[in-house]
Amino acid sequence: MHSGGNASSLPLVGGAPEPTINQLSKPGRRASRFPKLDVPVTEINNSAIRNDKPSLPEVSEHDLVMHYSRLAHRNFAVDVGFYPLGSCTMKYNPRFADYVAGLNTFANSHPSTPSAFTQGNLEVLHELEKFLIEITGMDNATFQPPAGASGELTGLLIIKKYLEENNLTNKTDIIVPDSAHGTNPASAKMAGFNVVEVSTDVRGMVNIDELKELVNENTAGLMLTNPNTGGLFEENIMEISNTIHENGGLVYYDGANLNAIVGVCRPGDMGFDIVHSNLHKTFATPHGGGGPGSGPVAVKAFLKEYLPGPIVEKYENNYEWYMPKLSIGRMHGYHGNFLVALRALVYMKLLGKEGLDTLGSYAVLNARYLSSIISKVIPLAYNEPCMHEFVATVKDLKKSHKIKAYDVGKALLDKGFHSPTIYFPLIIEEALMFEPTETQTVDTLDDLAETLKLIIDELQGDDVSLEEYPKNLPVGRPNELIPAKHLTVNWGDFELLELTE
Amino acid sequence: MFVPHSEIDLKKMFEELSISSLDDLFTHIPETLKLNDGLNVPPSLSELESISDFENLESKNIQNLICFAGGGHYDVYLPQTVKSLTMRPEFMTSYTPYQAEISQGILQVLFEYQSLICDLTDMELANASLYDGATSVAEAISVAINKTKRDNVVISNGFNPNTKEVVNTLLDRKKFNINYVDLVNYLFPEDYVFSQDDAAFVVSLPHYEGSAQDLTSIVHNAKAAGVITICYADPSMLGILKSPGSMGFDIVVAEGQSMGSPLSFGGPTVGWFATRKELARLVPGRIIGESRDSNNTKTYVMTLRAREQDIRREKASSNICTNQTLNAIGSTIHLSWLGPEGLYEIGYQAIQKASYMKQLLADNNFNVLNHTSSLREFLIETDKSAEEVILEMGAKGFLAGIKYDDNQILVAVTEKRTKAQIDYYVDSLVEVDNA
Repeated sequence: MHSGGNASSLPLVGGAPEPTINQLSKPGRRASRFPKLDVPVTEINNSAIRNDKPSLPEVSEHDLVMHYSRLAHRNFAVDVGFYPLGSCTMKYNPRFADYVAGLNTFANSHPSTPSAFTQGNLEVLHELEKFLIEITGMDNATFQPPAGASGELTGLLIIKKYLEENNLTNKTDIIVPDSAHGTNPASAKMAGFNVVEVSTDVRGMVNIDELKELVNENTAGLMLTNPNTGGLFEENIMEISNTIHENGGLVYYDGANLNAIVGVCRPGDMGFDIVHSNLHKTFATPHGGGGPGSGPVAVKAFLKEYLPGPIVEKYENNYEWYMPKLSIGRMHGYHGNFLVALRALVYMKLLGKEGLDTLGSYAVLNARYLSSIISKVIPLAYNEPCMHEFVATVKDLKKSHKIKAYDVGKALLDKGFHSPTIYFPLIIEEALMFEPTETQTVDTLDDLAETLKLIIDELQGDDVSLEEYPKNLPVGRPNELIPAKHLTVNWGDFELLELTE
Repeated sequence: MFVPHSEIDLKKMFEELSISSLDDLFTHIPETLKLNDGLNVPPSLSELESISDFENLESKNIQNLICFAGGGHYDVYLPQTVKSLTMRPEFMTSYTPYQAEISQGILQVLFEYQSLICDLTDMELANASLYDGATSVAEAISVAINKTKRDNVVISNGFNPNTKEVVNTLLDRKKFNINYVDLVNYLFPEDYVFSQDDAAFVVSLPHYEGSAQDLTSIVHNAKAAGVITICYADPSMLGILKSPGSMGFDIVVAEGQSMGSPLSFGGPTVGWFATRKELARLVPGRIIGESRDSNNTKTYVMTLRAREQDIRREKASSNICTNQTLNAIGSTIHLSWLGPEGLYEIGYQAIQKASYMKQLLADNNFNVLNHTSSLREFLIETDKSAEEVILEMGAKGFLAGIKYDDNQILVAVTEKRTKAQIDYYVDSLVEVDNA
């Protein structure tokens, strides 16, 4: 028990709550200094100018640095410990990418700079497109979407425009598995489609018979992730994609689980027409506490002209922006999250053929191993070989000892691990979803399984109060009722009284 | 390359799984789908080898152009303190703060972010970030449509054209009509008449062309017709401009790049979104609230979660999941570093330097189209095509501005520009445009 996983709660500092930056403010203090104005002063007459100074905290630079450093100490991170967080692919983020993303014109180009002055930036996007279409088995890509959900919406708007151009506007249904990520139905709705849900069979795969019944002349397409959110490879994927294609629909690949198959097989070879990738998952760009991400969308050649743009085109001696002829339009004010794309390119170039060919294999190896040793502690939801993630369930422990997935997750926090994803997919009772990624050592995986066993034993004890977990962190379980009665969302103590109704 | 498995590790894992190779993991995948020869990509590089690759690639960009371009993204000075704190690995490499007990750092910074934005804009509730300024405008319009159940959107034409394109993409044009209203003498017409069909009024402060006006009476007229009023504000000017809240706006959105993010070729930056409490349930994205833990200790949590896609699925207020948290952290730390005096200074110096530049251009016989109504950004006319001028000014070391029309360039000045740079810019422009 001497792996990185187990030691990781130690850096989280408890003690007294940290005041807000506003509480540290004292009139007259300041961190900022600017050069003296070096042009003659003119009088400004404009009705929009204010007469007073804005309301902002007044703090010294040292106080500022201490405050945000102390807050950093109160936060778990990939650089601190193990996130076995299903569906999130929290792998190691190479430090070298920070260096490259900080290089002068990469970091500091104005987005309106003409392409003649930014050939390096355009080449970055072109190089990344080449990697991405090879890995996914597609033909063209756009880097406009700034996140996965935006990529999904992009894909759905492409389907919509494609159907319009082909006079198939009767096709209004998007089929989504009941195990899908919440963004799938939300994106389909935003794009103006009806959401039709297909169920999951006992093995944990798309219910093919039901799918065939649901597909008809109104089917616009199917959204699917493969492996699915249960961590299982949809073995009938060709039958699924053929069924949709035979009815004139398109097949969309949610790239959330792409990490499982990089170098093993490709969405483009499984019949998918559109693929989004989450660069912040599969390609190791830091998740930033919730973002930024990047959700590039790759398509088969027949859909290239529908891509949001501008996209990069390579000519003999240079790169140029190109707006696809039937483009759905822009998904982002400029070129998407360029620096995130750059970091992904750094990762891909470092991995190269040797690393990318085996990426999915090692991700699956770690998950399969972890599932094997965890299954001795908690039963798995499906009796099938998992890919990069797997789902376990504590529904029996809930019946016998009132121990919920939530309790297991909270107790794990105390032991230095992030909780696995809980209560997802929604179709599995008391679900705990584990995704170790390929960058963790076998020792850390062993530690997690051993720790889970200790926790489960401990939580079954006679005098245990489940609500007390976690016990050793800066704060305990948050009271979920307070925000419902007295919602404070800024330090002005604004109360949303309607919530008490 | 970042895979840690040794031969000994593999032996142990293979034994546990009763397999003898990595290929044995995939016996359930149809053979026809498998990549037999792997991927057609270049060989792996060590970090040491790839340094020169990436430095060469970066050097293909023209270096050190002095930036006079704006349009929403501004070359405001980003202090090292802000950069290094924002890039602390505990912030940068953490996940979304669903587990509050181990995420108090991120949650508190985001609570401070929401509070700072509310204070600055005079709003009551901000979310924890959207993708960028352009997508924030589209999200705000959705809120207005959901609130009013009306289907007409009034948008000032004084907007970055890219922002308009994003709105056109994200708004279902079959269901909703967009009415773009032209500016008159670079200002929004005070006498514009709103209709009972209008869901939203969207206007930029300052306008894209750089002119600014007190929008109070226009907002008043819009609200009298039941229209939700949306202000797209320039954060780096909020220290010197009247706040959108004081003008009566219902929603404030912004491109937050100039507060805490480098120019980044446009991304990642951050979209600010703030509103009044009446619209709380329609707000897109994550919101952080203050609660208490089991020991009555102050605890921050994600709240009003019932609006979000992972719970409401197709009934969610937006499909947004991953947002721009790290850039929001940058905004928080930058605003705290600036304080009231610093944010004022950024706006004041930009306007003073722009005034000096406009006069110098006029003295050299250039036509500044919105000389009197503009603040830090303005339109100039050129004899040569705008494209040619921008390319030739590049050879002199300037990003001269953004092409606005065939013979018009939008020029922006920030506090970073010096008198010497402005003088040299005008000298160069005289040479370029008269040649």
